[in-house]
Amino acid sequence: MIRFSAVAKRYPGGLEALRGVTADVAEGEMVAVTGRSGAGKSTLLKLAAGIERATSGSVVVHGQNVGALGETALAILRRRIGFVFQDHKLLFDRNAFENVALPLRVAGFTRDETGRRVRAALDKVGLLAREKANPVALSGGEQQRLCIARAIVNRPAILIADEPTGNLDAEYAAAIVDLFTSFNQVGVTVMMSTHDEASLGRLGCRRIALDAGRVAGEAQPA
Amino acid sequence: MSVWLRLQGHALGDSIRRMAAQPLGAAFSILVLAVAIALPVIAAVVLRSAGALTSGVETDPHVNVYLTLEATDADVKRIEAVLRSNPQTASVRFVSRKDALDELKSSTHLAEILASLDRNPLPHAFTVRVRADDATKLAAAREAWAKLPAVDQVVADFEWSQRLRRWIRFGDRVMAVIAIVLGAAVAFIVGHLIRLQVVSRRQEIEVSQLVGATASDVRRPFLYHGLLQGAAAGSLALALGWAATAWLGAELGALTTAYATDLKVVFLPPPGAALVIVLSGLLGLAGAWWAVGRELRQFSPSRRNP
Repeated sequence: MIRFSAVAKRYPGGLEALRGVTADVAEGEMVAVTGRSGAGKSTLLKLAAGIERATSGSVVVHGQNVGALGETALAILRRRIGFVFQDHKLLFDRNAFENVALPLRVAGFTRDETGRRVRAALDKVGLLAREKANPVALSGGEQQRLCIARAIVNRPAILIADEPTGNLDAEYAAAIVDLFTSFNQVGVTVMMSTHDEASLGRLGCRRIALDAGRVAGEAQPA
Repeated sequence: MSVWLRLQGHALGDSIRRMAAQPLGAAFSILVLAVAIALPVIAAVVLRSAGALTSGVETDPHVNVYLTLEATDADVKRIEAVLRSNPQTASVRFVSRKDALDELKSSTHLAEILASLDRNPLPHAFTVRVRADDATKLAAAREAWAKLPAVDQVVADFEWSQRLRRWIRFGDRVMAVIAIVLGAAVAFIVGHLIRLQVVSRRQEIEVSQLVGATASDVRRPFLYHGLLQGAAAGSLALALGWAATAWLGAELGALTTAYATDLKVVFLPPPGAALVIVLSGLLGLAGAWWAVGRELRQFSPSRRNP
């Protein structure tokens, strides 16, 4: 489903985030990308989501070579991938409902279908009662769940999450991990980065460890 | 309803909502644009009015040959033969004394005065259409005709109206230049206003792109905004132009009545007015397209770090 082949990523300014990374994520699999800050986890996830382009090598998602796609095709690909951002990227001039509805609005869904899907997504993350709330009024954990709701509202086959448990206390982090596990159990391919050992233990999935932009090792679940 | 239509509807609704959310700002922007558009509209009305005035004026090159009051029918035939034989003559039309008097009575307010006269004061006349390609030959012909027996006067009074026509044509071109310059200004102003909006909505645009919005999806509501703003400004410009010319026209009508001329302000016809609105809308659209395209190139997520 997702294949990285000798992927390198160099940012303007010379920072080499990834150096020859080769890895696969199978359909329906859940994979955790681990490593210290600056190891290249976020860059790897953004390449998989078509948010960044590789400097060299290839990234194939849903059978499509991301590097070869034009801007429009890349945008269409992003609609088929749910992405949970580390910094949430919520819009604070809109309420929870409107934030979650954004991907559906972009895709041209009807008002009725949008309402149905948004409420289902909010219900899934336990925020249905807060649909009118502004994200500012939500706690860190709730904001993270709102971001997850926006990522799943399009019912994507791939869900990618960048440090979804970062900055959360243990109880919230465990709830988020369980949420991703439940998505994976219904067939969604999940790829998430984390350096939180407690979350990794709870996930119990294959790990791809990155170090200084290279794959340092892989570990199967115990 | 197709997805395409639904997306258009969303974008249109979004742009209307945003304008309605800041009514004062939107109204001020439209007013600024309308003033810029109103200038060429007023200039067009002035030129149309001048054009209407000159449309009834004879501007084809011609010479009027007036005979003496004593000229006989034999003189008329002889002079007509001379006129027709000249190589500078294109055509000759005879206007008898009676026809001239009838025409004067019907086209002026002097009917009562003319009726009170003992005899017809007007002479027989010929209107000779001439080939105006050689001014020297034409002058020679006029001089020769003036010396013919029973010819009282030879008058070539078309030159002033030709000059007026040329001035109106020149005015048309000046108006076109003004329209182009102000049209560019309208597109630039709309572009600048839209650019400010794009910058202020930068986060929303970025997030939209991250969740799958294409460049067209991002551009669409701004294009509708530019189109609506331009069309609204065009409509307001027409209203301003109409009000200004109606105000001036009332005074002009009173003034020209005193000179027994019929100069009226001729406003743009409905197709012309519709064209102003459509062109204004398109200018707004063009300005928005330019502004959004320029900003999008700077923060498209997958283009930032190629």
